[in-house]
Amino acid sequence: MYELQSVDKMFPGVHALKSVDFKIGRGEIVGLVGENGAGKSTLMKVIYGAYQPDGGTITIDGTAVRFQNPRQAMDHGIGMVFQEQSLITNLTVMENIFLGFEAQFVSMGVINWSKMAEAAGKQLAKVKLDIDPGMVTSKLSFAQRQLVELAKVLTLEERIDGDLVILLDEPTSVLAKDEVELLFKLVRDLTSRASFIFVSHRMDEVLELSDRVYVLKDGAVVDVVSKTEANVDAIQHKMVGRDVDKEYYREQRQTDFRDGVLVSFDDVSLGTSYRNISFELHAGEVLCLVGTEGSGREAILRTVFGLDRPDSGTVTIKGQPVTRFHARAGVERGIGYVPRERKIEGIVGGMNVYENMTLSQMQNYSSNGVLRIGDEKTLARSWIERLGIKTPNEYKDCGGLSGGNQQKVVLAKWRSGGSDVILLDHPTRGLDIGAKEDVYDMVREMSADGVGIILVADTLEEAIGLSHTILVLKDGEMQRLFNGFREGKPTLYDLVHHMI
Amino acid sequence: MDSIAKTIGLDFERVRQHLPWVTLVLLILVVGLADANFLKPQNLIGMAADIVPLFIMAMGLTFAIYIGGIDLSAQSVANMTTVIATVSLATFGIGAALICIFFGAVLGGVSGFVTTRLLVPSFVSTLAIGGVAFSIGEWLSGQRALYMDATMRDNAFGWMVGNTAGIPHEIFIGGVLLVGAWFLQSRTTFGRALKAIGAGELAAVASGLNVDRIKIMAFALSGAFAAIAGLLFAVKLSGGSPTIANGFLLPAIVAVLVGGTPLTGGVGGVINTLIGTLIVAVIRSSMLYFEIDATKQQMVFGIILIVAIAVTIDRSKLSVVK
Repeated sequence: MYELQSVDKMFPGVHALKSVDFKIGRGEIVGLVGENGAGKSTLMKVIYGAYQPDGGTITIDGTAVRFQNPRQAMDHGIGMVFQEQSLITNLTVMENIFLGFEAQFVSMGVINWSKMAEAAGKQLAKVKLDIDPGMVTSKLSFAQRQLVELAKVLTLEERIDGDLVILLDEPTSVLAKDEVELLFKLVRDLTSRASFIFVSHRMDEVLELSDRVYVLKDGAVVDVVSKTEANVDAIQHKMVGRDVDKEYYREQRQTDFRDGVLVSFDDVSLGTSYRNISFELHAGEVLCLVGTEGSGREAILRTVFGLDRPDSGTVTIKGQPVTRFHARAGVERGIGYVPRERKIEGIVGGMNVYENMTLSQMQNYSSNGVLRIGDEKTLARSWIERLGIKTPNEYKDCGGLSGGNQQKVVLAKWRSGGSDVILLDHPTRGLDIGAKEDVYDMVREMSADGVGIILVADTLEEAIGLSHTILVLKDGEMQRLFNGFREGKPTLYDLVHHMI
Repeated sequence: MDSIAKTIGLDFERVRQHLPWVTLVLLILVVGLADANFLKPQNLIGMAADIVPLFIMAMGLTFAIYIGGIDLSAQSVANMTTVIATVSLATFGIGAALICIFFGAVLGGVSGFVTTRLLVPSFVSTLAIGGVAFSIGEWLSGQRALYMDATMRDNAFGWMVGNTAGIPHEIFIGGVLLVGAWFLQSRTTFGRALKAIGAGELAAVASGLNVDRIKIMAFALSGAFAAIAGLLFAVKLSGGSPTIANGFLLPAIVAVLVGGTPLTGGVGGVINTLIGTLIVAVIRSSMLYFEIDATKQQMVFGIILIVAIAVTIDRSKLSVVK
């Protein structure tokens, strides 16, 4: 029995976990659900020892434990199967499985590879994966890699006497339907030896696999439901605090885009980042770039903004072929960039609200190089009111605002400067639900005003909900263009299918 | 334990911005108690006038440090200008001033160019350009101390060193430059851009600012101020030499940092440097009162510099220090 009692975790300005009680018994499968930012990953990090709680206790079979690092948690039988592929792709499968634990195969300073291969084969058999342990990991499919990660964690079986607790973080996100079934069967078979904590966005899967489900919201456990009494709608209601319907992404307010073309790519390529990309962005259109990390999404955004010059092809912005590639040129063309790294590239911490808002357009708020600070303040006050920015006044240091309000300041900077193409790179990352909804509202407003938006979304649901069109990318190449608003929106599976 | 440290840390953040002037007031009181003569207006005014060349150099340095860089060439540029001023006075009269400022700005601009375009960190680029400036001074002077013709000096630059109503003119010069520098820093698009670069350069780039050009201008400004400092020094001493301003650099950097413009940039500014310079002036005078040998001055400033950086630096901006 592994148990957390009233565990708290604070970060500067954020109470990430609020008195969380959590327990998991031998052979149990426990689901963990919550919105982005609800505290799921913080809770998992506390469980597998990456974070130390600020309050509360952790006990294993009634004995209090405190882990200084993941290694100590592993010594107590707690293992983590990572969501992001944590395997080192240029190492072999067996090297990955025993990474950090090679000592058992060493005699006189030399690794006995055949012994390691044999041991790795035993681990792979546990997950029913029939591959050569000496294979280089990069040659495996994503599904196979996921199983190797599980096999790696299962080495704990031999090392630890007690029960195992294995965390599965979004293990199905890269799997097709039949592969998911296979994984689930495997997990159920393994419950004779280990208990599992299963984290997923896919509510139906969580319910199918788990015996009990913990629902997290704003860092607190708001409900624990058992499999028999759970249903998807009720859990979603608890997660979000109200019904999630199409209104979440403001789909009722979505209107068709216009005819005018703002940005067009004609067979554009840039090194290994992306190749042969063609699309058109119309006034009022929300175009979403979808793909895994490294699929070329961000690189395309950077080219549109003018940061990276492509090797070939033609980029046309508002009818003008682009020849100068420079952030300054992008701003002059009326392109606004809302970067993923909000605190680093978005706002300038240490500068106040009005200084941040006019940073990209100081020429409009100065005469002969002398700032008209009164005009700047007037502008800031009107946008503070218009976007509902929560700040005591326009003198407040932007570094001290919440993430959502910082994002509004960045958007106000571009909107007030008259940008009619806005690039949104993970605009809702790390925001709480209310702030996300504000961002969605702003996307709809800009779209209705005829602003063209290119979006790299935080989740696929967000991409589908917000966009008119979705461009699916894989390894820098276009896979499919979904004209979703006009021809019917794609499903999650449609997208994932083309992404991997 | 953690939360206690955080609470103290937060309070310290608030205290930190008031440290410079509190330090200044305390220092004046301590020295004043030790020797009442120190507080006599005549003494204070004289002390302020003496520090003006250093103050001007420190003001220029403030711009380089405000954007998160540094200008180690300031002292050599000042040295070079004392020679240029002395040599060119005979031919150009008051025009010598423009020549000095021009050379200072060009050398500073070259440092800025090397830093931004060739990606050489400013502590190296300015050190190297400082070497160039020093050699120009040695070459022009023939490695000797040169003297200005008294009449020519008084005709061209006599206004710099006179007295009006008991106040030395240097103080007015420093005051005018301070007002100009403050205006530039606080009221112009250039100053705003400097702040953005110091506080968040990547966001400044993403907002479309011409960051390279602004940085080059900041270094040019630093060079120009160093040249003005050198010019004033040459006029005061009625001559120049390639080593005459040695010993300026360390106290000038101390003045900027003790004043509250941290090496990481983005906060502080020229008013802070005024307070920092006055702190340096008081420390310097107090060494006389406490009979500390003049040869130990640089040691004292070296120690103060380390303490000042350790106290003012924004650790959240640093991932590694080498």
